[in-house]
Amino acid sequence: MTLRILFNRGLAALAMILLASPASADTTTGITDTTIKIGIPGPFTGNASSYSKAEIGLDAYYKWVNDQGGVHGRKFVTVLEDYACAEAKGIAAAKKLIYQDQVFMLHGNSCSAVAVAMKPTVVEAGVPWVVAHAVNDKISSPPTKNIFHGVPVGSTYGLAMAKFVLSKPDTKTVAIIQHSNDWANSYCIPAKEYMAKQGIKPAVETTFERGQTDSTPQVLQIRQAKPDFVIACLYEAETAIFFNDMRKYGVNVPVMGTAGTDLENTLKRVGDLETVKSYFVPHNYVDNTEGPRMKKWNDIILKYYPQETITGFSAISIGSAVAVIEVLKRVGRDLTREKFLAEMDKVRDFDTGILAGKINWSATDRDGVKEAAVAGFVNGKPTVLKSWGKPLFERP
Amino acid sequence: MFSQLILSGIAQGAIYALVALSMTVVYRATTIVNFGHGDMVMAGAFIAYLFVVLLGLPFLPAAFVAVVLLFILGVAIQRGLIEPIKAGPHIGFAMMSIAVGYVLRGIARAGWGREVLPMPRVFDIPPIFVGDLILTGDSLVVIGVVATFLTAFFVVFHRTRIGQVIQAVYQSERGAALIGINVRAFHCMMWGIGVAMAAIAGVLLAPITLLYPDLGANFLIRGFAAMTLGGFGSLGGAIAGGILLGVAEQLLGFYVSTKLIDIAAYLVIISVLILRPVGLFGKAAIVRV
Repeated sequence: MTLRILFNRGLAALAMILLASPASADTTTGITDTTIKIGIPGPFTGNASSYSKAEIGLDAYYKWVNDQGGVHGRKFVTVLEDYACAEAKGIAAAKKLIYQDQVFMLHGNSCSAVAVAMKPTVVEAGVPWVVAHAVNDKISSPPTKNIFHGVPVGSTYGLAMAKFVLSKPDTKTVAIIQHSNDWANSYCIPAKEYMAKQGIKPAVETTFERGQTDSTPQVLQIRQAKPDFVIACLYEAETAIFFNDMRKYGVNVPVMGTAGTDLENTLKRVGDLETVKSYFVPHNYVDNTEGPRMKKWNDIILKYYPQETITGFSAISIGSAVAVIEVLKRVGRDLTREKFLAEMDKVRDFDTGILAGKINWSATDRDGVKEAAVAGFVNGKPTVLKSWGKPLFERP
Repeated sequence: MFSQLILSGIAQGAIYALVALSMTVVYRATTIVNFGHGDMVMAGAFIAYLFVVLLGLPFLPAAFVAVVLLFILGVAIQRGLIEPIKAGPHIGFAMMSIAVGYVLRGIARAGWGREVLPMPRVFDIPPIFVGDLILTGDSLVVIGVVATFLTAFFVVFHRTRIGQVIQAVYQSERGAALIGINVRAFHCMMWGIGVAMAAIAGVLLAPITLLYPDLGANFLIRGFAAMTLGGFGSLGGAIAGGILLGVAEQLLGFYVSTKLIDIAAYLVIISVLILRPVGLFGKAAIVRV
C-alpha cells in the first residue's frame, strides 16, 4: 500500500468522522414524511426501575397520539433505552439514541444523577430534550439551548415539602435523612433553607446511602432526637427500608418524602398501612392518582400496557408530552429542530390537563412547572392535601 | 444506646459472617475466590421469594427448597464449569465465578428487572423493650438461626468423621487422595455447601430487606471485608470478621457519621491489609526453600 493510498483512506475516514459528528447533525434528523422518532431513556431495570413507570406512561401516550392520527400526518416512533439508573449507562444510552438511532428529540429520564451526567452529551449534540421525571435543578438551570424541564424541579418540591411540614401545628423539631447525592440535595437543601427562614434548624441530619439494607443507626439517631417530623430525601427502596426499621424500633413520626417515591409503592413495599399512614409525598396532578380527573390518563396507559399497575409515577411524564404535542402542532408540517426549540420557548401558562401546575418555558427559564401539592393517606387512600389534615378535593 | 448498637451490629454482622464463612468454605477447599458469591446470596433470596409469593409455599419449606437448589447449583458449577478449566490459569476461576454471578443477576433482572420486591414479613415479632434496649424480632431470629447453624457447622467440622475428612483435604489434597478420599467429589461437595450457605444468608435477608437483582454486590464486598479482617481462609476468623464488621458499621454510623457506613467495609480491607495482612486469626504462610 502506497503512502498516497494510505493518506487518501485516512482522509476519507476523517471525513466520515466529521460527517457523523454532532456539529453536522441535520436539524431534520429523526423526521421522515410519516414519522418522528423520539428517544425515551429510562431506568427500565435495576433497583430504581419502578421509576420507569413514568417512561412507560410516556410511551403509552405517544402510542395513543398515533392512534388519534399523529401530528400533521406524522406518527411517533419511540425508542426506549434502558440505563438502570446508572450514570455511565445513561451517557451511553444518550449517545446511542442520538447518534445510532438518530432520534429527533429525547423525552423522559428518571434518576436525576443520570440526567445530570447525560447533560453535556445532549447539550453538545443540540438534540431537544424534555426532562419529564428527573428533578435536579442543575439539569435545566442555567438554561441551555435545547433542554426543558417538564416537571417541577427539586427546589420547587423542596419548598412544598418544607411548607407542608411546617403546616403541622406545633412543628418545632425536624430531622432529615437523605442520600449524599445531588438528587437528594436538590430536595433537602431548599427545604432546609425555607425552614431556616422560619427559625427551624434540623435536630438531626443523617445520611443513608443508596443500596444499604439497614438504617438502624439512622433510626436510632432520629429516635434520640425525638423530632416532630422527618424529611426523608431517599429513593424508593431505601424509603421502605427506613420505614421498616422505624417500625422495628418503635419510632412513630410523620415522614415527608420526595417525588422520587409515591404512596402506593411505598405501601406495597412496607407491607402495612399502619407503618406508612403518616407518610407524605409531593404530588403533581390535578387530582388524586386514581381520582376522576386522572381516569383518562390512567386508561391510556392501561390500554397500551394492560399489565401495568398505576402509581404516582405512571402519568408524571405525560404532562410534558401534552405540551410537546401542542408545540409540534404549532410548528406545523415543516418541522425542524430549530423551529421546534423556538416554539417551545413560546409556551406560556399551558394547562396540560394533568399536571397541577401550568407549563411556562422561555429562553431564560426552562423550569417549566413551579407548583406542587402534597399527598398523604386519608382513611387509607392516597389523597391530595393542601396542608396538614386538609384535603385539596372534598369528595363524599 | 451503645448496647443497642452492639445488638443490631451483631444481627447485621451475623449475615456478613455467614456470607464470609460460605466464601471461606469454597476458598479453603478449592483455593477459588468466588466473586459471584454475592449473586448467589441474591439467588437464594429470590428463590425463596418465588416459592413464597408466587407459588404460595410457607416460608420454611420455601427456604429449604432454595437451599437445596443452590446446593445443586454449587455442585453443578464445580462439575460443569470449574473442572473443565482446572488445567488453565488460576485467574480463569475468578473470571468464571464473576461470569456465573452475572448470569444469575441477569436471570433475576430478566424476571424482575423493574421491581424492588418486598417479601411478606416472616419474623413479625413485636419489639421487646428491656429498659432502653429494643430487641427486634428480626435481630433475634437472625442471630438465633445463624448461631444455631454455626454451632452445627463447627460441631460437624471438628467432632465428626466427615469433618476430619474435610480437614484432611484442607491440609493436603494429595495426601487425602492417597488414603482413598475422592477429592473431586469433595470439591463438588464444598462448592455445594458454600453456595447453599449463601442461600441461607439470602433466605434470612429476604424477609428483612427488599429484593432486587443487584442486591448481592453489597454482601460480596462485606464478605470480603469480613474474610480479610478475620484472616483469609480462617473459618472462625470469617465469623469474627463478619460480626466485628457489622458492629463497626453501626458504631461508626451512629457516633462518627452515617456516611461512613457505606465505606466501612473498604476501610476495614485497607486497614487490615496494611496493619495486619494475615487478619485477626490468619497465619503467615511460611515457605521453606
